[in-house]
Amino acid sequence: MAVSSRRLQKELTEIKTAGTPCGITLLKADDFQTWFLSLEVLGESQYKGEVFALMFRFDPQYPISAPAVQFVVDDKYKAPLHPHVYSNGHICASILGGEWSPVLSVIAVCITLQSMLASCKEKKRPPDNDRYVAHAPDNPKKTRFVYHESDSAAAP
Amino acid sequence: MSEQQWVPTVDDLRVKMCYICREEEHHDQPVEPPVAWVHPCNCTLVAHESCLLSWIQSSQQDASRAPNALKCPQCGTIYELESYNPRTLRFLNKLNSVVSMAGKVVTVAGVSCVIASFGFGVYIILTSYGAYAVQEFLGKEFFDLVLTEDPSNWPWHAFINLPLVPVSLIISRTPLFEGFPLVPLFLAWTTSPPVQTTERLMTARWRRAMTSGADTPWGPLINWPPSPLMVTFLYPFVTKLYRRYFRRFQHWVMGTEPSTGTTVRRYVWALNDDRNLQVQVDVNALPAREEGQQQQGRPQGNEEQQEVDPNGEEQEAELPQDPAAVAERTIRVTSASLGRFVGGALLIPKISNWMGAILFRLSKYSPLLRRFLAIRPPRTGAPEVFGKWFDSQPWSQMSVARQLGVGVHMALSVVGGGTKTFAECDPVWWRNSVGLGIFVLAKDCVNLLHLYLTKREIETRRVKSRSFEGVDIKELDLLNPPQNPAALPLPTVA
Repeated sequence: MAVSSRRLQKELTEIKTAGTPCGITLLKADDFQTWFLSLEVLGESQYKGEVFALMFRFDPQYPISAPAVQFVVDDKYKAPLHPHVYSNGHICASILGGEWSPVLSVIAVCITLQSMLASCKEKKRPPDNDRYVAHAPDNPKKTRFVYHESDSAAAP
Repeated sequence: MSEQQWVPTVDDLRVKMCYICREEEHHDQPVEPPVAWVHPCNCTLVAHESCLLSWIQSSQQDASRAPNALKCPQCGTIYELESYNPRTLRFLNKLNSVVSMAGKVVTVAGVSCVIASFGFGVYIILTSYGAYAVQEFLGKEFFDLVLTEDPSNWPWHAFINLPLVPVSLIISRTPLFEGFPLVPLFLAWTTSPPVQTTERLMTARWRRAMTSGADTPWGPLINWPPSPLMVTFLYPFVTKLYRRYFRRFQHWVMGTEPSTGTTVRRYVWALNDDRNLQVQVDVNALPAREEGQQQQGRPQGNEEQQEVDPNGEEQEAELPQDPAAVAERTIRVTSASLGRFVGGALLIPKISNWMGAILFRLSKYSPLLRRFLAIRPPRTGAPEVFGKWFDSQPWSQMSVARQLGVGVHMALSVVGGGTKTFAECDPVWWRNSVGLGIFVLAKDCVNLLHLYLTKREIETRRVKSRSFEGVDIKELDLLNPPQNPAALPLPTVA
């Protein structure tokens, strides 16, 4: 069994025994390639009452290589309106790129994104949303995001 | 903290969990074969050494993650790596980075070589055109004196001046610049001494031995034709005067009033004549004064364009069909007009040469014209060399006042009469300049005639009236209908 599968199996067992944190639910984890989790910001926030879904894609090098994480955009789910989230669901977050570390996990990523949404002051798209979405690759890991304090900019 | 105090290590943990692969190992259930564990930092994270090494290795290969490769994600401690890193390896690493640096240099050098050779090719073309223009405009004799066919004889400034010739010819046709298009031809060459070919140096030496008189290398103070330098200085004034009076003449012919407003000139670049590809540039973007008149009070730039273009640059602007468009002075730069523009500019030396040749022919029948054009037989003997004069004249023995006087005299005569090289040559340039002037005048007159005839054609337009021949007369409501319709001839079927 590949390292990624063993590690994901551990994470899955942990989720099933210890449960997930508030506002995070495991939707689907049938294999060790793609997982879906739902995300909700509890308490007072810009996203009160909104439920989002996250898609995790893992490659065999996980956790050495970061998972590809994006918001699901389909009939049921929309990407949150956030300065670091593009309308195609891609997320500009440093922990998914250069700041990724194997000490993180699926749940840790979910918690980070949850707090990213919770701390949002103004619901708006990244300034370069249209340009980025028009040329964005399917896999957000192929995008080299430039991380800023306030705004985000992507260079596909 | 005493040295005796016991400090636990990774081997003392009851349960170890690798922070990377999340595998656990209980101290009482060691895995077989044994795996090495490390505690690389100051916090509680432990990891399999193999996991940590593969993490470090993969991070170091990723530019965005490399800065954090050796840093604990929790406490930020920098991991310390121990490895067999002999001098040979360090040397090879260094060598590798030097070689890849060299690779970059080669790439950059290659690209710049390509660009440079392209630029050099352009430079060669510009320079050859410049040499051609000098020969056409200043005449073969002068060309052979100061330039010659062999570029190795050329003075250093030729390599700056010659490529500038076509550039300045083209620029001078744009309305943004005004000036004698052949300025680089004149300014440099009028004072230029003849090139010193071996043959000439030998003749000069021979002549110096033969003649003792030290005649000056510059021409007389007053000379006919005027020196090229003088012409260059006077040119802007002459053209300004010419334009002013020609425009008055034009308004008189066309019956229009000169306007005083600044015109807006709009360039529409439509190289493919495709509306989508238009780039509009507004020059003098002031609000346009809307009059239905055409051809009034434009800045001289327009006339300058017409000067050298026998067909007229902007015919659409000359016709008063659409007053607004005319007032806007829309110049559609199509691929055809761009070629005409550049081509017309580059033809100036050839046109001057033709006109000069015509004048030369005509001068055979008129002594007056011959004197005006100052036509001389080709000069004989070797040209004067500045150095010779300075050698033979005891310059250092003169008083300061005399040196000053000679200097001023020298400068004045170069401006007034040109250098001897120029003054003694058959002044081809002079008849070419006069010819170019005549050509410009003729072209302006032809343009004006075209304009005038167009205007008169539009003004005199009438629609010819016909009879009702062939129409059934009963369908017409006539003032005096005929009494007997039957007596009229039957309508013919057309």
